Amino acid sequence: MGLGLLASRALRSSRIIRNSTRTIVSTPELKNADAAAAAAAAADAPSDLPKRNPVGGARVHLPNPDDVIEVFVDGYPVKIPKGMTVLQACEIAGVDIPRFCYHSRLSIAGNCRMCLVEVEKSPKPVASCAMPALPGMKIKTDTPIAKKAREGVMEFLLMNHPLDCPICDQGGECDLQDQSMAFGSDRGRFTEMKRSVVDKNLGPLVKTVMTRCIQCTRCVRFASEVAGVEDLGMLGRGSGEEIGTYVEKLMTSELSGNVIDICPVGALTSKPFAFKARNWELKGTESIDVTDAVGSNIRIDSRGPEVMRVVPRLNEDINEEWISDKTRFFYDGLKRQRLNDPMIRGADGRFQAVSWRDALAIVAEVMHQIKPEEIVGVAGKLSDAESMMALKDLLNKMGSNNIFCEGNGMSPNADLRSGYIMNTSISGLEKADAFLLVGTQPRVEAAMVNARIRKTVKATNAKVGYVGPAADFNYDHEHLGTDPQTLVEIAKGSHPFSSALKNAKNPVIIVGAGVFDRDDKDAVFAAVDTIAKNNNVVRPDWNGLNVLLLNAAQAAALDLGLVPESDKCIESAKFVYLMGADDVNLDKLPDDAFVVYQGHHGDRGVYRANVILPASAFTEKEGIYENTEGCAQITMPAVPTVGDARDDWKIVRALSEVAGVALPYDSLGAIRSRIKTVAPNLLEVDERQPATFSTSLRPEVSQKVSATPFTPAVENFYMTDAITRASKIMAQCSALLKK
Amino acid sequence: MSQILKRLKVPPNSASLEEARTRTFEFFRMCCRSIPHVMEIYNLHDVVTPSQLRSAAAAEVRKNANITNPKVIDMLLFKGMEELMNIVNQSKQRHHIVGQYVVGNQGLVQDVSAKDRDASNFLKKFYSSNYS
Repeated sequence: MGLGLLASRALRSSRIIRNSTRTIVSTPELKNADAAAAAAAAADAPSDLPKRNPVGGARVHLPNPDDVIEVFVDGYPVKIPKGMTVLQACEIAGVDIPRFCYHSRLSIAGNCRMCLVEVEKSPKPVASCAMPALPGMKIKTDTPIAKKAREGVMEFLLMNHPLDCPICDQGGECDLQDQSMAFGSDRGRFTEMKRSVVDKNLGPLVKTVMTRCIQCTRCVRFASEVAGVEDLGMLGRGSGEEIGTYVEKLMTSELSGNVIDICPVGALTSKPFAFKARNWELKGTESIDVTDAVGSNIRIDSRGPEVMRVVPRLNEDINEEWISDKTRFFYDGLKRQRLNDPMIRGADGRFQAVSWRDALAIVAEVMHQIKPEEIVGVAGKLSDAESMMALKDLLNKMGSNNIFCEGNGMSPNADLRSGYIMNTSISGLEKADAFLLVGTQPRVEAAMVNARIRKTVKATNAKVGYVGPAADFNYDHEHLGTDPQTLVEIAKGSHPFSSALKNAKNPVIIVGAGVFDRDDKDAVFAAVDTIAKNNNVVRPDWNGLNVLLLNAAQAAALDLGLVPESDKCIESAKFVYLMGADDVNLDKLPDDAFVVYQGHHGDRGVYRANVILPASAFTEKEGIYENTEGCAQITMPAVPTVGDARDDWKIVRALSEVAGVALPYDSLGAIRSRIKTVAPNLLEVDERQPATFSTSLRPEVSQKVSATPFTPAVENFYMTDAITRASKIMAQCSALLKK
Repeated sequence: MSQILKRLKVPPNSASLEEARTRTFEFFRMCCRSIPHVMEIYNLHDVVTPSQLRSAAAAEVRKNANITNPKVIDMLLFKGMEELMNIVNQSKQRHHIVGQYVVGNQGLVQDVSAKDRDASNFLKKFYSSNYS
C-alpha cells in the first residue's frame, strides 16, 4: 500500500467525519455529555428529596448492624448490607436499572452492559450488576453519561436483532422491546446485513429462534445452576457467538420450560404456545398447580373459555419463581377427553347421556339398596378439600365410613400431622447440611422440592444419601441401598453414612409417599424414627423429619380424616363412589359392584363406571388444596366449566338431597365453616401451618422390615394424573424425554 | 297496518303519570291489533295462538309495572314502539319472534317434574346451571 493511497484514505475518512451530520443521539444535551453532566451536577443541590421505596416493595433485612454501608443513589442516601452490588443498591433506593443478563437467582455474568451507571470518581460508566457497592459511593443513574451509555448498548444489541416483533411470540412482554422504547435511540446507523443463526432443536417444549438471541447467557446459567444439566453452552467468539447444545441434543431437564421465562427476548419461547395468542389478549388468574404435592403458585392465562398457557408466580416459600415442565405444559390436557354430560351405562355396555335429574336419581336409588358397610368412597389425586369433606359427610350419613384418598394407602396414619407433612418446610430445606432420602426420587415426584435440595447441595455441599431403586439425580449423592434393611443399618449406626448424619448440624430425612403402599410401612417409619432419634433430627429448633407427598389431595385428605374403616373394603364393596380416582386398583372389586365416577376426564376410572357425573377441573372451580409442607392454598376459576359439568362439592351436595340425606351446607362459605370444625388449618390460606406434635408419640411397632426393595413411586414424570394423561404435549415429552 | 304505523310520530313527553298510563294502554292495544298481521307475515299459525302472543306482549308490559316516572315510561314506550315497528315491518326474521315471544325466557326444555316441587333452592339451581 503506497503512501499516496494511505494519505487519500485518511483524507477521505476525515472528510466523512467532518461532513457527518447524522447522529443517533436524539436528545441534544447528550451530544455533549460531559458538559451537560457538569451543568447538571452544579444545578441540583439535593435539599429535600422525596422518599423513595425499593423496587417491587421489597424489604431489606440488615442482619448485622456492623456490616451496613451507606451509598448515595442519585443523591439519595441508602443503607445496604455489605457485599451488595451497585444494581441491588439502586433497587433498594427505588431505581430500576435496565438489564438483560443480570438475574437475581443466577450468577452474575455482566456481559450485556445494559446496566451501566455513572459512579463518581470513576473514569468510565460501570456495569452495576457486577460492581460491589462500596461505602460512600455516589451512584448516578439518570445522568447524560449513563443515558448515552444505555443508548449505545441498545444500538449494538439491535444491530443484529431481527425486526420481527410482529411475528415474535415474545412481542408485548419482551425486555428488549420495552427497553429499546425506554432507553434506545429513535434511529439506527446500521445498514449492513444482519447476522443469522441456525435454530436449535431443544425438544417439544422450547421453541428457538436463535437469530433473536442477544447472548445474555441467562439460559446457560439457568441450565447449569438451577436445573443442573450441562446441556446448554456458548459456542464461538465475537459475532459468531451462539447459544447451543454443542451437539444435536434435546434439553432433558424437568425445569427446561423456565428458560422461556428468563429469556429477555424471543429467542426461547414456548413451543405449544407458539402463534396461539398475544399476551395482551389473555386474562390472568392467580391459581395453584395440582399436578404434584408441591402446590406451585401459577398464573393461568386464558382467552375466553380456553386455557392458553400457565406461567409461574413468585412464592419464595414454595416454588421461588420456577415451575416444572409438567405444571407449565399439561394444560392442553384440559381440552381433551373431557366429560361433559351425565351418563349411564346401558345394558349393551354403552354410555348414554342423561339429564342430571335422572343420573342422580339412579345413583341415589342404588345407594339405598346396598348395605352401608359395602359403600366405599375414593377421593382422587386432584380432589379439593371441600369436595372431600362433602363426600365424607355423605358417606357417613349413609352409614359407611369406608372412604380414603388414593395414594395414602389403605391404613394411613392420619392421627399425627407431623407424620405425613414436610415438617422442615420447603424453604427450610435450605438450612440443611445432610439429606437422607428414603424411597423417594424427588426429581420426578416433586421437581420443585428437588430444585431446593439441589440449591442447598450446591450452596452448602450438603451430603445426600439415597435409599431406593436406582434413580437419576442432578446433584452429588450416595446410593446407600435399595431396600429397608439399609435403614436398619443406619439406625444401628453400623452404616458409613450414619456418621455423616451424626456430624450434620441440621440433618434432614425425607421419606417418599410411595412407602405408604408398602406392607411394612410401619416398620419403615419406625426405623426412620430411630434414625431421627439417634441423630438428633427432631429438636426444638429444628425438625428434619419429612414425608414428601405425591398428590395435591393427599395432605388435605389426611387432615380431614379420610381413613377407611377396613383395609379390605374394596374387596367387599358393592357400591364404589370414585371422585376423580383413576389410579386406585379396582382389580379385586366384585363384578356386580356399582361404580359411580365423578370427574372431569374420561380416564381409567370411567372404564369400570356405571354412572358418570361430569365435574369441573381445578381451572374451573374454587377449591382449597394443601401442599406437602402443610400450606393450604386456593385455586381460582379461570375458565367456565365444560358442557353440563358441575363443581365437585355441588354434585355431592345435590346427590345427598336426592338420596334424602341432605347435607347441611349449600354454599362454599358454609362448607368451609364445616371444614373449620374438622381441620381449621385448611382455612389458614397461604400460610404454612406446622404440625403441633412430633412423631415421637407414635406407638411402638413390632413389625419387621421386609427385604423387598423400594419401588419408584412415579414411573413417568410427565403423566401422573387424568389431566396429564390426556395431554398431547405430555405424551410427546414422555416419548422423547423419558429417561 | 304498516301505513298507520309509519304515520306515527314521537309524541311529546307525558305531562303526568295519568297521561303515560293512557299511552301505555294505547300502545298495548296497538300491539294487539297488529297481532293477526304478524301471525300472517311470520307464518306463526302452527306454533302459537293470538291469545298466547297477546299474553306475551302483556307480560312484556307488566315487567315494568313498578315504574312511576313518566319520563322513564315514555322512554320504554318509545322502545316498545321501535320493537313493534321492527316486527311489523318484517325487519326481523321468524326465529326472532319464535325465540323471543313464543318460546320465551324459559327455553325449550321445561322439565319440571313433580318431584322437584319440594326440592331445595340449591337443587333447583344445581339442575339449571353450575353458576347462580
